[in-house]
Formats: sequence, C-alpha cells, structure tokens
Amino acid sequence: MGRALSWLLGGRRPLASHLLLAPASLWLIFLLIIPAGGLILLSFAKNGAYGAIVWEFGLHNYARAFDPKYLPVIFRTLAFGAATTALCLILGYPLAYYLVFRAGRWRNALLIGLMVPFWSSCLVAYYSWMIVLGKEGLLNTAMIRFGFLSEPIGFLYTPFAILLGLVYFYLPFTVLPLYASLDKVPRSVIEAAYDLGAGRWTAFWKVTLPLSLPGVVAGCILTFIPCLGDFLTVEILGGPRYYLLGNLISNQFMMAQDWPFGSALTSLLLAGLVGGLWLYQRWEKA
Amino acid sequence: MSKGRGMGVYVAALFGFLYLPLGVMFVFSFNDARRNVVWRGFTLKWYKALFHDAELMSAMFTSLELALAAAAIAAVLGMLASYAMVKHKPFRGRGAYDALLNVPLMMPEVALGVGILTFLVRAGYELDFMALASSHALICLPYTVAAVRARLISLQESSLEDAAMDLGATEWQAFVKVTLPLAMPAIISGALLSFTVSFQDFVTSFFVAGIGIVTMPIKIYSMMKFGVTPEINALSVCLLLATFLLIGLNAAFAVRPDEASRH
Amino acid sequence: MAEPVSRRSFLKAAILAPLMPALLAACRRADDKKVVNFFNWSNYIGKDTLPEFTKRTGVAVRYDLFADEDEMFTKLRAGARGYDLIVVGDYLIPRFKSMNLIEPVPAGTLKNLGNLGPRFRRPVYDPDETTVPYLWGTTGIAYNKKKIKKAPTSWHDLWDPQYKDRVSMLDNVRDCISVAMQLLKIPQTTRDPEDFRKIRELLVKQKPLVKQYSSASYLNSLVAGEIDLAMTWSGDLFQTARENPDLDYVIPKEGTYMWVDCLAMMRGARHRADTLRLIDYLLEPSVAAGIANSVRYATPNLAAQKEVDKTLLKDPRVYPTPALMKQLQLHHVLDSEQSELWSQTWADVKVA
Repeated sequence: MGRALSWLLGGRRPLASHLLLAPASLWLIFLLIIPAGGLILLSFAKNGAYGAIVWEFGLHNYARAFDPKYLPVIFRTLAFGAATTALCLILGYPLAYYLVFRAGRWRNALLIGLMVPFWSSCLVAYYSWMIVLGKEGLLNTAMIRFGFLSEPIGFLYTPFAILLGLVYFYLPFTVLPLYASLDKVPRSVIEAAYDLGAGRWTAFWKVTLPLSLPGVVAGCILTFIPCLGDFLTVEILGGPRYYLLGNLISNQFMMAQDWPFGSALTSLLLAGLVGGLWLYQRWEKA
Repeated sequence: MSKGRGMGVYVAALFGFLYLPLGVMFVFSFNDARRNVVWRGFTLKWYKALFHDAELMSAMFTSLELALAAAAIAAVLGMLASYAMVKHKPFRGRGAYDALLNVPLMMPEVALGVGILTFLVRAGYELDFMALASSHALICLPYTVAAVRARLISLQESSLEDAAMDLGATEWQAFVKVTLPLAMPAIISGALLSFTVSFQDFVTSFFVAGIGIVTMPIKIYSMMKFGVTPEINALSVCLLLATFLLIGLNAAFAVRPDEASRH
Repeated sequence: MAEPVSRRSFLKAAILAPLMPALLAACRRADDKKVVNFFNWSNYIGKDTLPEFTKRTGVAVRYDLFADEDEMFTKLRAGARGYDLIVVGDYLIPRFKSMNLIEPVPAGTLKNLGNLGPRFRRPVYDPDETTVPYLWGTTGIAYNKKKIKKAPTSWHDLWDPQYKDRVSMLDNVRDCISVAMQLLKIPQTTRDPEDFRKIRELLVKQKPLVKQYSSASYLNSLVAGEIDLAMTWSGDLFQTARENPDLDYVIPKEGTYMWVDCLAMMRGARHRADTLRLIDYLLEPSVAAGIANSVRYATPNLAAQKEVDKTLLKDPRVYPTPALMKQLQLHHVLDSEQSELWSQTWADVKVA
C-alpha cells in the first residue's frame, strides 16, 4: 500500500500525475465542461410551448442574439465592463503600489482589510449603498444640510449607482493581481534606476510600471470577464433602463422560459471567457 | 516624504469608500424602524429578533453546512492537484490542467449557475444539497490550489522532502511526515478562504439551489424583495464578526517566511 | 511545529471529508414524516395561521416564500419534487395543468369546500376544480397622497410625463400586458402580432418614466420617497398603508381585472393526506377570515365573511361594491400560443 502511494506521489510517470489530478479533473469535467457543453448544445435547439425543449437544431437563437433589439444590451454591457475595469485599474493601482512599496508592516493587515468587504455578502453591501444613495438617504441629507444641494438628487437607479456598485465589488479582483505583480518587481532594478539618476516619477514610469504590466493585464481580464456576466448590481442598484447581458441571460432562465435562447447568449459569454483565458495564459507565461 | 503621505491619504480615502456600506450597515442595525430606510431611533430588538427567527437561523445553518462541505472537498482536491502540478516533473497536458483549474475563477457565475442547472435538470438529477455543495467546491477549487501551490513552491526551495528521502524515507513517508505538516497551514488557509467564498456565494446558489435549500444570501435576497427589516443588518454584523474571527484563525495558522527556513 | 500526522488518520480524514456532506444531507432527509412543504407568496398568510395548524394536528409546516411568479415557475419546473402545496395565480393554472405539475384535489375529500362563494366554484380557469381558491384581489394604482395632490384616476396617469422617474410597474407579464391591452382597447383573446407590437410600443414608451419594475420592493421605494406612483396589488398596498397612512389605492376608471390565487397540490407530493388537511383547515371560516384580516386581501370564502373585520368589509377598495364587481372580470384563459406571445412581448419590453 505504501509502495503504491509512494509511486503516486513520486510522479516519475505521467500516469501518476494524471491520477493525482483525477479527482479535481472529475469535478471540472462534470460541473464545468459537461454543463458548458450542454449549454452550447442547447443553444442550437428550439423553444417549445411553456419552455419545453424541441430538439430541432439551427442557428436561430444566435441570429436572434444579434437582432438589433438586443445589440444595445450587449454594447451597454461591454461599456459598463470597460468602464468598471478602467476605474478599478485607476483606483486600484495606487493602492497596490502603496501596499507593496509603502505599507511596510501594515501590508498584511491592509490586504485583509481589502478583502473583508468582499467577503461580507455583497447583497447587504448593495443594500447599504441604497441607504446611502437614496433620495432620503445619507448622501442627499448630508449634501442638503451643508448647502450643496437644495433638492435631493436621485442617485439610485442611474449608471452612476451601477458603476459604483460594480467598482465596489470588483476592486479586489484588480488589486490582487496588481499587488502580486508589483511584489515581484525586483527592488534592485528600481534601485539601479535611482543610482543612474532617475527621479521618482521616471523610475516608476520607465521601470516599475512596465514590469508590472503582466499584473495589469491579469487584473483587467479578471475584472472584465466576470463583470460581463453580472446581473445583481443592476437588479438592485440599477433600473429597468440599464439591462445588462447578465440580466438578459438570467431572465431567459428565470422568467421568459426560453432556455435555448439563454444558452445561446451564455455561449457567447463563454466565448468571451475563452478568449480572455487565452490572453491570460499568454501573459502569464510572459 | 510628501508623496508618501499623499498616497497614504488616498489609501485611507479608498478604504473609507470600501467600508462605508459596512459602517452604514452596522449603524442601521440599531434602527428602530421596520422598513429600514430612514433613521428613527436606537434599539437592540433586531439582534434579539435574530435569534428567534427560525427561518433565518435555518438558512444560516444551511450555509454553514454547505461551506464546510465545499471547503473540505475543495481542500482535498486542491491539495492533490497542486501536489501533482508542483512536485511532479512536467508531464504532457500540465498546461491544460493549469488553465482549466483557473477557469472557475474567471467564469461569470451566471454562466456556471445556468449551465449546472440545465445539466442537472436535463439529466434528471434532483437539485439537492450535494449538487450545491459540489458546485461551491468547484468555485472554491482555484483558491485552494493557489494557496497550497504557493506554499509547496516555497517549500520546494528548502528541499526538506529530498533530505528526508536521502535519509531513507519513501515518498509516502516523506509526504506524511514532512510535506503535509508543513503544508497544513496553507491547506487550512485555502480551506478558510473557500469557506468564506462558499458562505457568501449568491449567483450560483440562486440557480442551483432548487427548492428547499435556502442559503443565507438567498434568504437575504428574498428578504430584500419583500421588505427588509434591520434584522438583516444585525445578521450581517454578526457575520462580519465571524469573518474577522476566521481571519484571526487564519493568521494564527499562517507561517511567517522566517519560520519556514528554521525547519 | 505541527505533530506528524499518522498515515491512518490522514487517510481517514481524506476519505471522510468529501463523504461528510452526503451524511449530513441524509440526516436532514430522514426526519420529515409529519410535515407539509408549503410554497407561497410573501406576506400572504396570517401570523398564527400555520402555528395554529401545527398545534391542532401535530403536523409541521415548512413554509417557503417567493416574491416573483416567474421565479416560482422556474424553480418548480427545474425540480418540482420538493413542495406539497403551492399558491398559484389563476392565469397560470392551465399552464401548470398542461405541464402536469399539479394534481387535482380528490372530490369529496374537502369538507369545507362549500364555504366558498358561488362565484368561485367551478371557475372558467379551472372548471374541474383541481385547485382551491385562497385569496383574491385587484390590481390598481398606489400613490403617495403627500407628493401627488391630484389623485390618479386612470391607467393613463402611469404614462404621464410629469411623473418621470417616479413610477414603478409590477414585474409581472400578466399585469403589465393586461393594462396595455385595456388602454389600447385590445381584447385579451387576440392572437394578432400587430396587436402585440402596439402593446410593446406602448410599454416601451413608458420606460423612461419607470424607475423600477418590481413586485415587492417597490413598497419600500414608495415609503422611501423614491417613487410616488406605482402599479400595485390591492392587499400589498393596504398592508404597507397600515404603517404609512400617506399611501392610497385607486382602481382606475377603465376598470381592472380581478385575479384569484389558488391552493394547488403538487404532483408527486410526499405528504398528500396532511396537505389535504391543511387545505381543509385554510377553508375554515375563522381561519380564512384571520388570513384576510391580516393580509387585507379579499377572501373567496363566503362563510368567513361574517368574521372579517367590518372596516375591511365596508372598504370598497378591498371588497368592491356589487356595481364594481360586475365590472371586474377574470383574465381570459390563454392557450399556449397566446401565452408565448404575452411572454415574448414582455421580454422584449424589458430589453428595450
């Protein structure tokens, strides 16, 4: 028995590696690959009465996805995704930089502090944002009290609120890869730049930033892709006018009872995921 | 240095932004109003109501059980997988495994939830506890793999396992007596992280939970639809405290870099 | 330094860890002999209704809530074996029947069935009485008296540009499409795609005014002042108005539909006898009256009316006058093609 286990752990044969990876692979196959495959298969089927599936294959669902009436949704989603990623990058980079180069012994505490809001249920966080942003909420009340406003502004159910919610949720997704990448930048190289007479800004711009680029790319991908599928933020903070792809997909399954069409939309999302993954792998190796 | 201080102020402001909802949540958990929109007065009654609310408690226990199961599964799978990825000599398909293990992290949860829902329903499988726990385990897997892998790589540098084998141990003995104890903090760390991820997971649970399984986030979601009372805030504050507790536990298990080299 | 882990204990842990959840799941299934699994709308039962039932019969009731009919339908479709008893709207009953989701209540098993008013016996949406009426109500307009001086009188008021961003509509196919049909004077029996195009256009025209589509959280928004005008279900508004007397309910002059929510037994229900007992219990006059008083919807139970709160009985918004009752109709029973057209139009409106 000990011999067999030793053989497994030794890893001198590829078979041993595959066997050790088998449990994880099984999980991935049954809960990830097969469902994804099932979705793609379903996306070619037709929707029958009350949501029953009719197995007549065709590209009609995809044709429908590119119907002009759905294109605004897709563009809106891409726009919000890009805006969120950009904002997270702009806001998150200085934070990551601070954590790596300036935080010193507070580094771990701050890192954990960053994760805590992420770990508490995002639903409650959004709901608390509603209390802050509401017409009778904290922000409006404070601004009226201090004379900045004479009448409350409807912050909720606007793109501002949606962007706020998205950035709030996805910031750690950007900051962590940035942090990991900045951490790997060898201090010696930066020191060398100083020694050669570079100022702080030049050293950052020409040395640190380029070396942290893999982290930037990773952070962007890790933020953009999941953000495309988000539907909760819009549902709680947004409104009916800012329907995103995630809401559309969710509604096909929850409301419209059109699983084939929903599968087609999800397959498009998965295609985006695969593209992002491929990019991610390429940069990881760099 | 002025630049350093400027940055410090910025970071403080950013953290202020991140913690504002939590602060609001905390303060409003003492709000004496049924519909928690405007502040009306101070009370502790929501915390008392919390412990009498059978449905809420039941949802919390469901989430706890799920998180335990998911963390356990993800920890075992992740450990085996990262061992093969780190310790074994490179084998064909390793890159593919690597990519695959990262997919749950990047996958939009709506796609995952919808996919699993469709798959299980068409396969005629009932959407029960095991299905949801397994789905959670899938989402947690990248975290455990990353945690253990980082530790194994850093252990690799100290080549303690090799030393053990030089002294006559088999791979199995070296694993059990050297690698496993040293990797344990990372395994636990990964498990704790998985626990947290599973506990507050909403989107996947929303689709896969089916009937009869009400997790805490799902309960909160439905409470939000029906009209929230500050009870939810009280609950979230308790959960936040629990999260801090878990972090504390994690820190207690964490190995500082200098400690590793001492062994 | 951590103690070395023995091989045996490690193997034990590694094998047990994944098995533990299965054990936990088995344990929780073992003890549900005397229970009824009841799936209902939120705020749709009296506080003591179910505890009283358990006290009397010893049968526990697991009570789950939903806020959204479509969500409910999806969950049931995806895995219907969990629930014994559900509450389903009249317009969904033909669909549930055709999909074989519900089972008829065996004739003669319910001794309290006669308590129902004659208008609710053998209704057009359920002639063979597979289901049992539970509560009924109307859909109308809720508004904040303080913010809106002139009370709304017509559905057109929900399309009034002066209320931009202060309006909320129900997140429900049946209600929104019905309103549009009423305004455009299109009969509910239509199958004409041109009609549905007009309906869609009308609803899309309203979108810039609508702050949210919601079937439950709009009540919060009304109280918070985020919206001042909302499409609402009668009882929900009255429940909220208890704490917020500024809110009022209006049945538009075009008239509105009445709808009936019914108790239905799920196919494959595991606790059939106890479920029937629960239905019978809910049909008792005092129980029905208790529910009606609590949720402020109208009860179809004629025998219960003597125990219903007098103020509610006299309130024409809750129990409409006979003249108004004549105007109220039930929704037309849609077949699958019409149902599809309704769903599709609604989905298109939401995307636009």
